[in-house]
Amino acid sequence: MGSNKFLMTAGSMLAATIFSASSAYAACATDGLPGTMAKPGGFPERSLAMIVPYGPAGGSGQVAQAMAQAVTELTGVSINRDHKPGGSGTVGMTAYLAMPTDGYTVLEHIDDASSAHALDSGRPNPAEDLIPLVISQITFSQIYIRTNEDRFTDWDSFVNWVKAQDGKATIANVSKEGSMERINMKYLTDATGMKIQQISFDKGAPRYGALAGGQVDALFEQPGDVRKFLDSGTFRPILTLLHSRPGVFADVPSLKDAGFDFEPLLRFRGFYVHKDAPADRVEWLQWAFQKGFCEPSYQAFNEKKFMNLIESYRDTAGAKELITGTIAQYRQVYKELGLEVK
Amino acid sequence: MDAYANFINGTITLFSDPMGILIFFGGVVGGMLFGAIPGVSMLTLAAILLPFTAHLSAEHGIMLFSVIYCTGVYGGAITAILFNIPGAPENAPTAFDGYAMTKNGEAGRAVGAAVMCSAIGGTVAAVIMMLATAPIANWAISAFGPPEIFALVFFGLAVAATVGAKTLWKGWLSILVGLLIAVVGMDPVGGIERYDFSMPYLLAGIHFIPTILGFFAVSEIFIQAEKKATGSFIAPKISVDFPSVAELIAHKVAVIRSIVIGFFCGVLPGIGATLAAFMGYNEAVRWSKDKSQFGKGKLEGVISSETANNAATGAAMIPLLALGLPGGALTAMMVGVFQMHDMEPGPLVFLNSPDLVWVVFAAMFFANLSILLVGYLETKTIINLLRIPFQFLAPLILLLATVGAYAVRGLVIDVLVMFIAGAAGFFLRRSGYSLAGIVLGLILGKIGEQTFAQAMQMLHFEWLGFLDRPIASALIAAAFLTILSSIYSAFFKKHAQ
Repeated sequence: MGSNKFLMTAGSMLAATIFSASSAYAACATDGLPGTMAKPGGFPERSLAMIVPYGPAGGSGQVAQAMAQAVTELTGVSINRDHKPGGSGTVGMTAYLAMPTDGYTVLEHIDDASSAHALDSGRPNPAEDLIPLVISQITFSQIYIRTNEDRFTDWDSFVNWVKAQDGKATIANVSKEGSMERINMKYLTDATGMKIQQISFDKGAPRYGALAGGQVDALFEQPGDVRKFLDSGTFRPILTLLHSRPGVFADVPSLKDAGFDFEPLLRFRGFYVHKDAPADRVEWLQWAFQKGFCEPSYQAFNEKKFMNLIESYRDTAGAKELITGTIAQYRQVYKELGLEVK
Repeated sequence: MDAYANFINGTITLFSDPMGILIFFGGVVGGMLFGAIPGVSMLTLAAILLPFTAHLSAEHGIMLFSVIYCTGVYGGAITAILFNIPGAPENAPTAFDGYAMTKNGEAGRAVGAAVMCSAIGGTVAAVIMMLATAPIANWAISAFGPPEIFALVFFGLAVAATVGAKTLWKGWLSILVGLLIAVVGMDPVGGIERYDFSMPYLLAGIHFIPTILGFFAVSEIFIQAEKKATGSFIAPKISVDFPSVAELIAHKVAVIRSIVIGFFCGVLPGIGATLAAFMGYNEAVRWSKDKSQFGKGKLEGVISSETANNAATGAAMIPLLALGLPGGALTAMMVGVFQMHDMEPGPLVFLNSPDLVWVVFAAMFFANLSILLVGYLETKTIINLLRIPFQFLAPLILLLATVGAYAVRGLVIDVLVMFIAGAAGFFLRRSGYSLAGIVLGLILGKIGEQTFAQAMQMLHFEWLGFLDRPIASALIAAAFLTILSSIYSAFFKKHAQ
């Protein structure tokens, strides 16, 4: 792996602060911020709007709802969510950039915005064209199999079985080429030398149903999204795409255990405001959203979604660092894949 | 007997709690109202209510959503029948014959049939749901993968080509136009951007709701306005006569067939009530001895569509409750309601919260029955909207349709699409093309493209792999038989003339 040294450097920023959140309740990241903050010039005098580039029922819709609730509980300011799904977040981003830059409209977005910019620098850079208010969810991926699976039982036997199928084995994954999920799978297949057919599902339910119903052999997913299947004993993870084992998944091998040294890409979701928004309003929004992260309702939400297993919080500076590192990592991989990086 | 006892317990729990009764009837009326207003569908109501369900008990929150689901699917039939505006996409096929019946002065019969068949379809599905949720859910996800769903879509398109157009070729051209529109936007497999003409909003694709509103509501306004201008406008006669029980019994085969189709489509994750309604309608046409009467006000068209879409509601709860797999947008929101109460739908719900499950089952059963009563009262009043003079009604319909198109995704481009579809529909309806075929091509095209690509990936890009899967190969064979028989019929008819 010629680029491994670079990836380790870029990824080390991501990994450096990963494990610190196992006791998020005990000392929350923004406990040091003031409990109240005066509204600058009366801002906000009315409800805020939040553009969400995905549907209300998915991961983004849920985190947007939870954060909106937390900020409202904290400040009394209500937030109206406006879902504009489509184009892997492009439609919502475009709509957001067309809005007035008065600070009354914020944006929820995920790491797709970073990967889109990595491929085409004409697309907005979330760390420069926007101001990250907070990154409030960071999570890792895992490989899952059915609990009643008898053809393989763990990661090693899975890899051996896949190799024996000569490219006929299948894994359900998201559909978009160049996405976090696809890149991580490329890392895995490169590292193991296994050939596995990825089946493209752009929605969660059919993807999970495909594994539960035996249509595919394995599933690539993040733990919070399949928690119900883990709790019910329908699925079980056989590999965690991190270098250490989170406590909840102590019996699941990590990348290090499996002998891999690539730096996995993480899923992250956060909230942004336009870079041209008035500075004093940005400051108030940063306080509200960062403080909102530590509201009990939001912490309970993150815990329920397995978002407390690694450090899920980044303030503005931390978010910029995370996004910039992620963009660099994506760009490197895209070049390796032979994609045209604009 | 266990199921019966559980159902009685669920019913007692539901109706022994004043708050539960209030929420139940609020859901029944709210679902019907929001379902009946174009654009502000039951999904709008559900999205508004979602945060508030945190303040309700888990039983009440989930029960509220399941009741809205049942009655919301029915509610959209009213405007489809009276004004050619489907309140939701699953009511689009209802408009084909329902609105024609209104123009024929049979609005009461059409709405009455929708009321009764929605209640029958939904209630039967609710009973099946109560008896066999877990085994049906497990069967559906293991027997129906992407190859089978693609084959089902292919079959649906093959049948749809024979419906609504003046000739078979125009029917196929209509379907192909729909399929062409469906490929606009990001492709569902590799995320490749297609036909966006550098307009980012087109990356989201052409949504079928603005297209339906344009083809049906807007083009109808244009046509009626033209008639008004040329002096050939005839106001629809008002009739509140319900269909007789004997008439419904005469259509028992259509009802049973639509229940089976609706239930079958509803139980497949990601398919749901829209496909159910179209398939129910298509099959009614396919098995009819007098296909030419469909689209001109045939009661069986309304019966088939409305029975199937409500049967799908009960079925859609099966994968949700048994496996945690939502079949559509509203059931996906229900997952959110579960999560707000620290629960996840899936096998553990049956173990950990059987009381909740049976309250929901009972609520869905009675919500479907209540469609009969509330729908009857609603029908007797709402039909009088037809008395409003066209010059006042038309702007109101255009306003509602515009709001509805914009409300889907909050995008102005959807409003433009609606008006373009309206203008296109105005001309296409005169030339013998099938607007239903275009809409179905658009809806099924998106599902079909995705499942075809998934199927090819699963079958390792070997076309003959479909033949190794019995259900898929049977459906594909049925599709080819349909195509061949329709070509034969068209050829035979031409030469017989």
